[in-house]
Amino acid sequence: MRSFERANLILGLGAVGMAVLVACVWVPADVTTGMIEKVRRQITIGDALAPTLAAGFIGFGGLIVAVFERPENARRISARNLQFLAIFLIIVAIGFAVMRWLGPAVAGLLTDQGYRALRDTAPWKYIGFLVGAAGIVAALIGLVEGRLTLRGILVGLAAAIGLIVVYDLPFEDLLLPPNGDV
Amino acid sequence: MGWFDYVWMGILAVFQGPEMFSILGLAIPVTIVMILMGFLMGVAVGATPGLAGPMAMAVALPILISIFGFTPDALLPVMGFLLGIMKGATIGGAVPAILFNTPGTPDAFMTTLDGYPMTKAGQARKALRVAHFSSASGDTFSDIVLIFCAPFLAVVVERYLDLPEKTALLILSLAFIAAVIGGSVGKGLISLGLGLLAAYVGTGEDFYPRLSMGSQTLAQGFPIAAVVLGVLILGEVFKSIEELWQENRKSGALAVVEQSGDQRLHWADIKRLLPYISRSAVIGTAIGALPGIGSTLAATLGYTTGRAAHARKGRSPAFGQGAPEGIAATEAANSSVSGANLIPVLSLGIPGNAAAVFLILAADSIGGFNPGPSVFRFTGDQVNPEMVIAFGLFTCMMIANLLNWTIGGAFMRSMGFMSRIPKHILLPVVLLLTLTSIYVQETRMVAIWFTIGFGVLGYLMRRLGISPLPFVIAYILGGKLEESARQAFAATGGDAWFLFSSSVSIAFMALTVLVVTLSLRKPKEART
Repeated sequence: MRSFERANLILGLGAVGMAVLVACVWVPADVTTGMIEKVRRQITIGDALAPTLAAGFIGFGGLIVAVFERPENARRISARNLQFLAIFLIIVAIGFAVMRWLGPAVAGLLTDQGYRALRDTAPWKYIGFLVGAAGIVAALIGLVEGRLTLRGILVGLAAAIGLIVVYDLPFEDLLLPPNGDV
Repeated sequence: MGWFDYVWMGILAVFQGPEMFSILGLAIPVTIVMILMGFLMGVAVGATPGLAGPMAMAVALPILISIFGFTPDALLPVMGFLLGIMKGATIGGAVPAILFNTPGTPDAFMTTLDGYPMTKAGQARKALRVAHFSSASGDTFSDIVLIFCAPFLAVVVERYLDLPEKTALLILSLAFIAAVIGGSVGKGLISLGLGLLAAYVGTGEDFYPRLSMGSQTLAQGFPIAAVVLGVLILGEVFKSIEELWQENRKSGALAVVEQSGDQRLHWADIKRLLPYISRSAVIGTAIGALPGIGSTLAATLGYTTGRAAHARKGRSPAFGQGAPEGIAATEAANSSVSGANLIPVLSLGIPGNAAAVFLILAADSIGGFNPGPSVFRFTGDQVNPEMVIAFGLFTCMMIANLLNWTIGGAFMRSMGFMSRIPKHILLPVVLLLTLTSIYVQETRMVAIWFTIGFGVLGYLMRRLGISPLPFVIAYILGGKLEESARQAFAATGGDAWFLFSSSVSIAFMALTVLVVTLSLRKPKEART
């Protein structure tokens, strides 16, 4: 079987499998009412019907893809796609981890109050966001360019400062990440 | 209260709304300023390859809501700004297509075919003028059709469709969207089913929020902004960055061509272009009125039809060799989709494209306006505030058209430099903007993880040729579909066959089967 034929077959069967799992395992286990309920002698639609129908759409679509749709230009996910996705997600995860923990770590080291008391006070409230956000932008630009550049770092810093100017300075009620969580 | 009272109140709501500032004692309403700002931003965004109107709408929405709050007074300025972006981006897309052979938006691809040859022939400014004139004409025509059609369609729906018919109509719309977007009905249905499934997580009528797996985080459901922005914006950003990563940036030195000759658009030119513009405006409006069929198809059909007419007349230059008629046919068609796309939104509550999704998102976030047939319901002597807002929106659209006709052309021609911003620098900034705007709205880190999760889903869908638009539309309509089905089921006394209880609902269901069956006959792959 040629690879393009296999691509849609795998996608279609995967969708059918997912639909079966949703309808036969997830919905019965995680929805407390049935598809049709009798409440005070009145028949009503229960909470299980809609997600089961959604699963039906996924399964029906999967069946159509697996049986009828095998064009030569069928798309598929390659190992290179997954490699990119993994690198991309690692960059974003590290960036947000820095954003989340850098401010509290620096405040913990340099002050007695802790970050929570300072989370609405400059410069503490900007530390994590500035470094994490600039880092994400610089790393992603570096990913495409093949190396980390000063231009990438400057663009990242400019973007982070721009967001502080747009969201934080004019509005007292808006919180930049991670200040709503700490 | 009659139609004209509401039209007048809608106009007044825009012109007598809160004042932004005054010039020589003349109060300048905030809504008009917001339309202007949105329009200018839209042109700049449209002129930048890699950015699109919905991205700008996504980033602007939390800022706008922070500025204007959640009061009914916020609706017109916020939605006016978004409408401005929608219209500006439509004309802006032609700029890089004509100047650099790079379409700013997918629907401007056909514009490159004649626009770039005109630039190479030293006629860039004339090509931009043709694009602007055609785009503004198509857009204005489509808005007029919207203003006349949407209220009457809504009244017909309210008067003749009961709960079972409305449920069947929602099913028909979803099936239609799944079948026509992307070109693969199977993949469209998968996208649709996934969107519905996401909509049902953490909801339901029972005390226990269904499908929440006992988690407090899932019990609140997915934030609508996280789902919409994740799948629509982040998915596209992930994909574009990956393509740049894989290309490793081809060298892009741009050749500068000396511009010469008469660059103005004369009445004789306009007379020659008008048949092409009219034909394409009708095609674009008809396509735009159907939910889910994008402006790219309209542009392709407009161009193809124009090319056939041009060939019959034997005019020179031919389409594809720098014919202004080619630009006119494309731009009039893709621009006339934008107004007509709001017909299903305002008359049925069904969004037909990404821009309409963001308008619904804005209305949903602010509250006080629920797009759908009830907007145009007469309430006796009492004022229906939603109908006032609807006519206010129509007024906003006409103001945006006026701006387009007056300053749009000059501003569009000045935006050529935006095309030179490298995409690989722009896209990480868009990613950061989107995630920060989500956090600012939701104020919890988990919203960012949800958005990234849905971004990954959007990316995988694009890689597999599954269009993300049915997903988003199904997510938005999922709750409405279930509620309408519950009410219809209860109203028919628990009749399991309520979808086949009248000739109209039977016709809608038959059409649903027909749409899916016909779409099965020619499976193609998605363009996304």
